[in-house]
Amino acid sequence: MVETGHFALVLAFALSLVQMLVPLVGARTGNQRLMAVGGPVTVTGFALTALSFAALASAYAGSDFSVASVWENSHSLQPMIYKITGTWGNHEGSMLLWVLILTFFGALVAVFGNNLPATLKANVLAVQGMIGAAFFLFILATSNPFIRLNPAPIEGRDLNPILQDLGLAIHPPMLYLGYVGFSICFSFSVAALIEGRIDASWARWVRPWTLVAWMFLTGGIAMGSYWAYYELGWGGFWFWDPVENASFMPWLAGTALLHSAIVMEKRSALKIWTLLLAILTFSLSLLGTFLVRSGVLTSVHAFATDPTRGVFILCILTLFIGGSLTLFALRASTLTAGGLFHPISREGALVLNNLFLTTATATVLVGTLYPLALEALTGGKISVGAPFFDLTFGPLMLPLLAIVPFGPLLAWKRGDVIAASQRLMAAFALAIAAMLVTGLFIDGASVFAALGVGLAVWLVAGALTDLAVKSGFGSVAPAVALRRFAGLPRSVFGTALAHLGLGLTLLGIVGTLCFGTEKILSMHPGETVELSGHTLRFEGLSPQKGPNFTEDRGRFLLMGADGNADGEIASAKRFYPVRQTVTTESGIRTLGFSQLYLSLGDENKDGSVVVRLWWKPLVTLIWGGGLVMMAGAAMSLLDRRLRVGAPAKRRNPAGALADST
Amino acid sequence: MTRKQKRLSVILAGLAFLAAATGLTFYALGQKASYFYMPADLATASVPPGQRIRLGGLVEKGTIVRGQGATVAFSVTDKQKSVKVTYTGILPDLFREEQGVITEGTFGPDGVFVADSVLAKHDERYMPKEVADGLKAKGVWQESTN
Amino acid sequence: MLFWVIAAILTLGASLAVLLPLTGGMKGASPAGDHDLEVYRDQLSELDRDMARGLIQPGEAEEARAEIGRRILRLGAVEQPGAATLKPSRSARLIASVAVLAVPLLSWGLYGMLGSPDLPSQPLAQRLAKNPADSSVDELVARAEAHLAANPSDGKGWDVLAPIYLRLQRFPDAVTAYRNAIRLDGDSAVRQSGLGEAIASAAGGIVSADAQQAFEAALKLDPANAKANFYLGVGLSQEGRKAEAVAAWQKMLGQLPPDSPWRNAVQQALAEAGGPAVADAAPTNGPDAQQVEAAQQMSPQDRQAMIETMVAGLDDKLKQNPRDEEGWMRLIRSYVVLGKADQARDALGRAVAAFGADSEQARKFTAFAASLGVTATE
Repeated sequence: MVETGHFALVLAFALSLVQMLVPLVGARTGNQRLMAVGGPVTVTGFALTALSFAALASAYAGSDFSVASVWENSHSLQPMIYKITGTWGNHEGSMLLWVLILTFFGALVAVFGNNLPATLKANVLAVQGMIGAAFFLFILATSNPFIRLNPAPIEGRDLNPILQDLGLAIHPPMLYLGYVGFSICFSFSVAALIEGRIDASWARWVRPWTLVAWMFLTGGIAMGSYWAYYELGWGGFWFWDPVENASFMPWLAGTALLHSAIVMEKRSALKIWTLLLAILTFSLSLLGTFLVRSGVLTSVHAFATDPTRGVFILCILTLFIGGSLTLFALRASTLTAGGLFHPISREGALVLNNLFLTTATATVLVGTLYPLALEALTGGKISVGAPFFDLTFGPLMLPLLAIVPFGPLLAWKRGDVIAASQRLMAAFALAIAAMLVTGLFIDGASVFAALGVGLAVWLVAGALTDLAVKSGFGSVAPAVALRRFAGLPRSVFGTALAHLGLGLTLLGIVGTLCFGTEKILSMHPGETVELSGHTLRFEGLSPQKGPNFTEDRGRFLLMGADGNADGEIASAKRFYPVRQTVTTESGIRTLGFSQLYLSLGDENKDGSVVVRLWWKPLVTLIWGGGLVMMAGAAMSLLDRRLRVGAPAKRRNPAGALADST
Repeated sequence: MTRKQKRLSVILAGLAFLAAATGLTFYALGQKASYFYMPADLATASVPPGQRIRLGGLVEKGTIVRGQGATVAFSVTDKQKSVKVTYTGILPDLFREEQGVITEGTFGPDGVFVADSVLAKHDERYMPKEVADGLKAKGVWQESTN
Repeated sequence: MLFWVIAAILTLGASLAVLLPLTGGMKGASPAGDHDLEVYRDQLSELDRDMARGLIQPGEAEEARAEIGRRILRLGAVEQPGAATLKPSRSARLIASVAVLAVPLLSWGLYGMLGSPDLPSQPLAQRLAKNPADSSVDELVARAEAHLAANPSDGKGWDVLAPIYLRLQRFPDAVTAYRNAIRLDGDSAVRQSGLGEAIASAAGGIVSADAQQAFEAALKLDPANAKANFYLGVGLSQEGRKAEAVAAWQKMLGQLPPDSPWRNAVQQALAEAGGPAVADAAPTNGPDAQQVEAAQQMSPQDRQAMIETMVAGLDDKLKQNPRDEEGWMRLIRSYVVLGKADQARDALGRAVAAFGADSEQARKFTAFAASLGVTATE
């Protein structure tokens, strides 16, 4: 089975070479047969990659220590769930997951792309084939997960304990679905450049893929942030760590792409810009892969480091980014430019959005790469952290967030700011009220806190206003408005939900940063501590044994107002003997949207234990907002418009369903 | 304004915006980036009290002193010089004597480094890169000591 | 074999994925313009729907309709010049054949370089379940461990596993296994002497009080037990009672059958302990015979206390007279035997300091301590 997986991987590599060359030649020479090879080869390549991945996963599940990567990253005593997730909890397996997703998306284009112009489809599949071939080669040459050990060791060396966590089991697949989803947008862009023309169906194809990728990337980032929050035990949700930035940059660029693709689809404008943005977004995804996989970073993420891999990925990076940008420089002028529009219009607002988002992406890029560049050039070592990003990223985001509610309310081509402002009066009043309440009635609230709360409320209320205005609440009879509300296009809901989610996330961030409290103290068993109105009693440490670890569990009772225990919070120091590693399991209790968070430190000689406690108001909204944004993207994907590519040769049953609503 | 002028003004506004953003970025790089030092580097570089830096090295053996509450004092050394550090908070799980560590904070007026964050090496195979490079440059660290 | 069949099927499938489209019939593909037209039509109907819902003003809708109309008109103007050539050219044929051939050649070639086709999958459960005759020692041990984890009261199992642990140098595990076997299946000379050897080996070859006790228990059951006799001699020699050790070994040599595997070991030990050891046989610092006699009648706690007192006495003596090479070694060993690694290390440090770090004695101490598992620093 293991060797079958290995063979399938090699075969998939061979097919990816065919996939990158034959349809491309076919499209250049207009040979239908050569072009037709693309589809079946892509689908077969996916099937083989899936087989290969399944073989690796079964080796992990069955603790087959004759496979080197299993031996290095698994242990027979691990719970089954972590045996399976261990498949991608290491460098080799995660790269295999990367190409699995890549070939999966390619196969989706091959299967559902029958309504695409043949040459466009052939070129798209060929570009996908190139990316696939590069990464298959990378895996086979530097990171082969199927290297065998003979004789096989009898026991494995365990998965890195901080990776033995459900959050981290889901985080990489989500992130990769996002990263790799943008590869489709990239392939469409490069295909358009190769052909020298942008079909009208181009934007209709690119937009849903952008939505899919963006949705998963949002989820992946939120998941990673939550994982770091509870697993690392520092109580922070975002560290501006290079690895986090690596996923954040494609998200920012992808958000810009999402918006410019709307303009392109609706108005056939911003074509060349959208194309460039699609290339840049995927380039940033590749850069993210490079930064994480090459180990050039000093980072809280402990993933593998190996210079030969780094050089290899750097070559892939240079080839694809350099190649696509060169192609862009050569061919962009042959593409027809799009229509014109007034600065004050929906398009204008979206351009402004793009301007802010791409600039913000650039600042994050500079902050992430500058230390690396400086070290490479001068040997000087600096670290760029939160203070830098607060000063650069912050000022760019504030005006952007302030204009978000205007965008959906402006008309295409020529908008009316006054009318939009009037419609937003209620939202604005609400935001001002929230600011005043925060500033005047909450002790210790800073100007920034008030401003932040106001901005968050403004975003939420603005999103709701958009829905209310579009369904006509206040101008027509409520019954009519309700009917209209139900009949609104899904994409309108999608927009509103995404903007609302953004507001919630902002509210969570402001709440946690401005109103959170923190205490560090050493406690003896039986002692109580009070934090922001919550009383906790330390019950003492007790040793426990898990499947592949032992732990000292510190129990805390949350005391209610009546003096009785209201619940228990436990934080633990875990020891994993196989890797001789200690980890801290933080104790978290959610109260409403807020959380009490505590983590154990070292035991003192006198029997007391250092404890760090936080009260984090509204903190769950940070990730809850992310979920709402994902829901928004999913809603937009359900819009029938986005499922129609072009000539509806076959009647799309789902489309028919949407018609009847 | 003619159409051309309008377009020009939009483009100019965009360029001004980008220029402002670039300026801000470089200003922030100059002001907010913190430099990395090892104890011996501090003799030659003068770091005024209050400036944020990152200080890396090994935790000197036998210098860890737990004070009252959660405050810990220890020395960071590169085997040539060592610097006293105090830190209030929970030390990372991998914080041990003779292990690589990176602290971030400022020097107090008394010459003691007051750290507000302490990072230890993150797994068995990984030494903070700056520390490893620095120690190698000083000829103190040999590859794969265990 | 099965693997090659699967590999061949996979290769065939992959090659067919390339081959079939190349030989298949042509579907009449619509020119790109058709696709665009359909998109614009869809935009027009969407515009109508939006207007019906009141999402846009009639004026705006009119403008948008006009713009889409202009796009449709433009589409007609730049219609693709001529449909794609359908005649397969020679170069296309060449590419097609290369592609079809490349898949099997490349994959088999590359796999030949990278793969290990002869190596079957070895899931742990399967390895532990297969015919014992085919298993490696490690696998057998893992299997026995799994069995004993499920049935910890199987004395026979522990009895089988214990000597294997001993041979694999997993001494602490061997101690546990022997203890379990004795607890569950009762005493026997072989088990007791095995336990003694395991304890001694776990302590780096030092015959500690516990080991001695086990050997003595073995001798009670079988006075001729060679292993127990031999190790008790080792113990005597380690305590510095070389003359007694030599006597014990010589007596043993007389009793051993001529083909006994222990003969060699005993002779070697005698040779090592040889002349000088016998000559300087009067142990000045060791416990005298009466003390030992007394020790044997004590409870284990009392004996431990006595040993500790004696060790402390030795320590004090060395503090006053540090240039006693053998004394230091005895002290270090004693601390190791007592399980006091820190004090052993400390003693080593003092011993090295007493003779100077560069002295020959210091090197000897360090090597000796290292053989007991003690190093100067952690």
